[in-house]
Amino acid sequence: MLNEILLRFAEWLDTHAWSTALHESYYMYSWVESTHVLTLALFFGMLVVIDLRMLGWAFTSVPASTISRRLETPMMIGFAIMVVSGLLLVYAVPVRTTNSIWFRMKMVLFVAAGINALLFRNKMKAAVGSWDKDPIPPKRMRNGAGASLALWSCVVASGRLMAYDWYDCHQSMPYFMYWLAGCVHEMAEFE
Amino acid sequence: MDVFAFFQWLDTSWLASISKAYGGVFAVVQVFHLLAMLTLGGMVLTGDLRLLGVLLKDVPSEVVIEHTQKWFSVALVVLLASGIFMSSAVAIKLYYNSFFWAKMASLAFGIFFVYTIRRPLLRYDHSTINPWTLRLVAVASMTTWFVVAASGRWIGFS
Repeated sequence: MLNEILLRFAEWLDTHAWSTALHESYYMYSWVESTHVLTLALFFGMLVVIDLRMLGWAFTSVPASTISRRLETPMMIGFAIMVVSGLLLVYAVPVRTTNSIWFRMKMVLFVAAGINALLFRNKMKAAVGSWDKDPIPPKRMRNGAGASLALWSCVVASGRLMAYDWYDCHQSMPYFMYWLAGCVHEMAEFE
Repeated sequence: MDVFAFFQWLDTSWLASISKAYGGVFAVVQVFHLLAMLTLGGMVLTGDLRLLGVLLKDVPSEVVIEHTQKWFSVALVVLLASGIFMSSAVAIKLYYNSFFWAKMASLAFGIFFVYTIRRPLLRYDHSTINPWTLRLVAVASMTTWFVVAASGRWIGFS
């Protein structure tokens, strides 16, 4: 049911002239994709610095809250541009993206990483006056930082793997894989 | 030096036999290449924006540079190792790609700049260095690594 709704929505987006124009524009599409990757460097780069501090692997002489507060703004600027450029990329290739296992995995990981970031942020705020100046933060913070790095790395990895067509709908796959990818037409052929 | 001969050798090396035969291995290495590039970018931005007085103004710039340089080097090693592996899969194609050479030229300059100019200069007390020199170093560094990343991305488009 959800797969059908998503596919119908993607097919509707695909009928837009702007979607086709963006997809077929060599320079515009390439620049949007380059912007996505370069702002990812700003977002992920700042995130790595914050998480390395929380793991006690870098900037150990600097209070953890200072690193997190000062780098949060550029990180969120990178995040905002990355999301907008990412939406444009989906808009340019809606059907294939919707039917991509890697994209679906990316979205699930994205939500998980976002929830972890919210929980982590609240714990960091509570750091001032307690472990803030400790070179090595408490174990729960190190776990949160490790989870953050792992989850966002997996988001990046699944985004990169979207370029491969190993599990695209035109490939011969078991029913379960078609279901995961949301290949509605191919699933119908099984029934 | 015959550069093309090196690319021919790379194209038939044991590295190429792995990168061409196992698409999954190539893709995983590509992911590590991207993650290393993003980490390197983060370290460059954090260090250089501190030199420009944009970020972490309440942290001594010497401390920021010391910590970012260490992780920059780690990322650079992963970037180079994964890059050589990836190049082996399409060595001859890359030889004829203009963006690849733009990336190699900017990468060579970037490495030269970091290890022979930026790093030795920033070992001194930053308050004794002309602020404009620090700003110039920061802008040159960010521009260089931006060109490395952008030209690398455009290899895929060309």
